Amino acid sequence: MLFVDLLIQGIVQGAIYALIALGLTLIYGLLRILHVAHASLFTLGGYVGVIVTNQTGSLTLALCAAMVLVGLLGMLIYRVAYRPLLDKPPLVALIASIGLFIAFEEVFRIVFGSYGISFHNPPLRAQIEFGGGLLLSYSRILIIVMAVSFLSVLAWLSSRTRTGVAWRATVTDPQMAASFGINVENVRYLNFFIGSALAGAAGVMVVLLTNLAEPTMGAVASYKALAIIVLGGLGSVRGTLIAALAIGIVESFGTVYIGHILDRDAIAFAFLIIALMLRPQGLLRAG
Amino acid sequence: MSKLLKNFGVAGLVALISVAVPASAGSIKIGLNVPLTGFAAADGKSALLGAELAVEQVNAAGGINGDNLELVVYDDQASPKESAPLAAKLITQDKVAAGISGSYSGATRAAATIYQENSTPYIAAYAVHPDITRSGDYVFRTSFMGEVQGRAGAKLIGEIMGKKKVSVITLANDFGKSLAAGFKQASAAYGIEIISEYDYSIKDREFGPIVSKVKSESPDAIYASGYFFTAGPLVSQLRAAGIDVPVIGQEGYDGEMFIKIAGEAAEGVIITTSLDRDSTDPLASAFIEGFQAKSGYPADMVSASTHTAVLVLAAALKKSGAGDKASLRDAIAATSINAATGNISFNKLGEVRKSVQVQIVRDGSWHHYAVISDPVLLAPPEE
Repeated sequence: MLFVDLLIQGIVQGAIYALIALGLTLIYGLLRILHVAHASLFTLGGYVGVIVTNQTGSLTLALCAAMVLVGLLGMLIYRVAYRPLLDKPPLVALIASIGLFIAFEEVFRIVFGSYGISFHNPPLRAQIEFGGGLLLSYSRILIIVMAVSFLSVLAWLSSRTRTGVAWRATVTDPQMAASFGINVENVRYLNFFIGSALAGAAGVMVVLLTNLAEPTMGAVASYKALAIIVLGGLGSVRGTLIAALAIGIVESFGTVYIGHILDRDAIAFAFLIIALMLRPQGLLRAG
Repeated sequence: MSKLLKNFGVAGLVALISVAVPASAGSIKIGLNVPLTGFAAADGKSALLGAELAVEQVNAAGGINGDNLELVVYDDQASPKESAPLAAKLITQDKVAAGISGSYSGATRAAATIYQENSTPYIAAYAVHPDITRSGDYVFRTSFMGEVQGRAGAKLIGEIMGKKKVSVITLANDFGKSLAAGFKQASAAYGIEIISEYDYSIKDREFGPIVSKVKSESPDAIYASGYFFTAGPLVSQLRAAGIDVPVIGQEGYDGEMFIKIAGEAAEGVIITTSLDRDSTDPLASAFIEGFQAKSGYPADMVSASTHTAVLVLAAALKKSGAGDKASLRDAIAATSINAATGNISFNKLGEVRKSVQVQIVRDGSWHHYAVISDPVLLAPPEE
């Protein structure tokens, strides 16, 4: 039963990683920018989640607010920081992104205080018992359900709607897409909105588990998500999802059985290195 | 119009200078490095307020033989690469009589070396790494070493609480590791069987896998090291998984933030620390009330320890004067004062000797649970 329990912990963690890394991989696929400041948006999601829940008592409202606000901020970052740098080498945008990430951390500290904030009444703490003594809290179930439904909606959008087709076309060949009358700029804004909104949702989920939104909570997400998209084969959505789940599960078992030798991050990166030695192109090649 | 503004500007400047100058005349400067930005900024704020409160109290009571105490404060971001040059600056440019660290171990260790090289006394308020006082005879510490507190934890669990099967969850840094070492060293003497051990990193906030494993082992008690920002999430996740055995922590939990983060899960958590909230000692209660009034939040271990460090320095300065650093060092070494964190004296290495306060969370705040004052068990290393 411990095995199943650890497996579920890993899937929950993997689902959160997937939501964070997805936005990153979408943006990399579209613009070839490593968007480090994406992790700041994840942090903001956590803060909005706690503040709105504490003010209104509604987690649903908090989740929606976090996704919309963070999505809009993502678009703003593209407009203000990345768009003017698109014709510069990618390194310039990367440096801008790191700068933004550091600046956001201090902004969070100034605006929300250095201690971090918590739910007054942590929601969804109750648990359901499944067969064989397996207990799962509502928060963990919600995280899995939300991650699966967001990803399904996204898959449906990208394969079954005109917008989705335009999106994929722009990723594959922006010039060709533009010459077919697709507004590439709109696609980019949409991309930033969706990717950022997912990171915002992930922020709310993490805070549900830890009950702590703090200025530095994006630190781990920033480099872990980069590792995941590299492992997934830069720019491949399916690869990113598989890599996120794999790292979540490896970490879950790793922290318990080899945690005294390697810490959680070291386990994830050891796994990344071994996986890349076996498959240098990543789990799946970008398509 | 512009002339008018200019005149105001000049008048303002003159006013500023006239305010600034008299304060530094007849004052004794002491250096303080605290993390005011970066991940440790929250503790840095408490440390700074604790130090400021101590300085205000000392000056209100007549200062150092008539001279005012003056803090020179720098932000070290809890980073050794900031603290070392700041220590040099405090000693050579600001010409402080002595320094205090309101910062973490890494930053404190680096600064301690510089203070020692310049034969300037340095007191670490709450940094725990054993090598800090080993920098030399000018370096002191007013808080417990990790090992000492770990041994107190073993006595607390094995003897006072009578729990024998213990899971140990350790924060994998110098603080957590030294606590775990002390705990393990003393656990056999109190009949404790350590049934499992886990390490986590300071960045971890999600403990799902460890919680699941601990649950499967059903210990009698859990000895978990950490700071409020790791311990809060850890305890709330342990309780959320239905684990209701006692959780025993240390001074890293100490403060309101732990209770805020863990919420109801914090109830019944017991820690070893330096400040007794229910103390009837007038010094301790004056500190607790004074800090609340100054900061707007309740006193914590960090503020109490930094407050104590300033008082130790002030008492030594009164005895030796600020002129000679060697006699100031000797005066600190011979300290015997009562402060908010208890009766303070130092051993040969510069480590503090005092009792361990055991506090429990009841009705959303810290309260007295026990005191451990076993001088043999709590003896810090002599070298």
